[in-house]
Amino acid sequence: MMEDTLTYSETTREFLDFLRLDKDYRSNALDLLEDGKSRYLADLKVNFKNSFESEQLSKKEVALLGVALAANASHALLGEFFRNNAQEEGASSAEIAEAVACASLLSANNVFYRFRHFLNKEKYNEIPARIKMNIMARPVSGKEFFELISLAVSAVNGCEMCVKSHEASLLELGTKEERVFEAVRLAAVITSVTKVIY
Amino acid sequence: MTKGVLSVGQPFPTFKKAAVVSLEKGKEFFDISSEDLINDEGRWTVMFWWPKDFTFVCPTEIAEFNKSFGEFRDRTANLIGASTDSEFVHLAWRKNHDDLRDLRFPMLADTSKSLAEELGILEANEKIAYRATFIIDPQGIIRWVSIYDLNVGRNVKEVIRVLDALQTDELCPCNWEKGKETIKA
Repeated sequence: MMEDTLTYSETTREFLDFLRLDKDYRSNALDLLEDGKSRYLADLKVNFKNSFESEQLSKKEVALLGVALAANASHALLGEFFRNNAQEEGASSAEIAEAVACASLLSANNVFYRFRHFLNKEKYNEIPARIKMNIMARPVSGKEFFELISLAVSAVNGCEMCVKSHEASLLELGTKEERVFEAVRLAAVITSVTKVIY
Repeated sequence: MTKGVLSVGQPFPTFKKAAVVSLEKGKEFFDISSEDLINDEGRWTVMFWWPKDFTFVCPTEIAEFNKSFGEFRDRTANLIGASTDSEFVHLAWRKNHDDLRDLRFPMLADTSKSLAEELGILEANEKIAYRATFIIDPQGIIRWVSIYDLNVGRNVKEVIRVLDALQTDELCPCNWEKGKETIKA
């Protein structure tokens, strides 16, 4: 059995505390970073914490985007963190559920539409998708925010067609590019956190 | 009679001053010099001044900086607090005030007022420092200054925001654009 020979740095311990993780939380990636005294951990923590100081996204929106992005990453720890955050910021359970649903549906769409986009063959564009998307009809958190989650998830999953269409649809709804940018930045940072905390 | 405040782009003046770094006997004092500001490790310095020890607005503000100590550390920035009081007054104040006992940054003693004078932040009548904050880059160059009048408290979050904005970002070659100069760390 591996002994706890490594005590994490103050920076990391504060980060774990911020994430409401246990004092003796350990991950292999953290061990390696700590072992090499990597300054990356401070950067990662600053990147993450700064995401909560957005002028474009409310604290509740950050939390709900977090719920969706954690779900997209199948990440239980971050999912729990953001769910608590969302509740504290006044999100209803319906809104939280919708964030999870949106992430799951979009991950299906990202695979599917990416395929259509890659091949761009008439035949594949004609066959009906048979993927139910009823939750898109009347989102509880509003059309604009649903689109924003869709865009953030699509950016992570790397579907060009989805990213382009959701961005276009957001601008049509009057969303400012700065807000679109912040949502994608958040998605990027959360993705980087999932590589170290899991 | 006084020259203006040193500002953005100017080198921080040279100095060597005693600072209080601990309450532990025999380890209370430490000399800080301007040479410590210049380094190859990308370490920045944030120096903030207050008018007088043992006054009311100051401890709140100092405690606020102390609470954010980790934010500065994570941004590879050294935090230094300063006033024109002596190191012995600093020490007595730290011992005397609950909020100051666990300070994690040094309190610099500009007893001769020479540094405050050179920085141009001495108030004319009482000869005490204004609430000035300096952000100094690893080359020892002043990159940001803010000066508040004696009774106005500071916003530490704003200092952190400015520090973030000043520090180099987007070093990734993905961000390279034609015509831009080569990326340097």
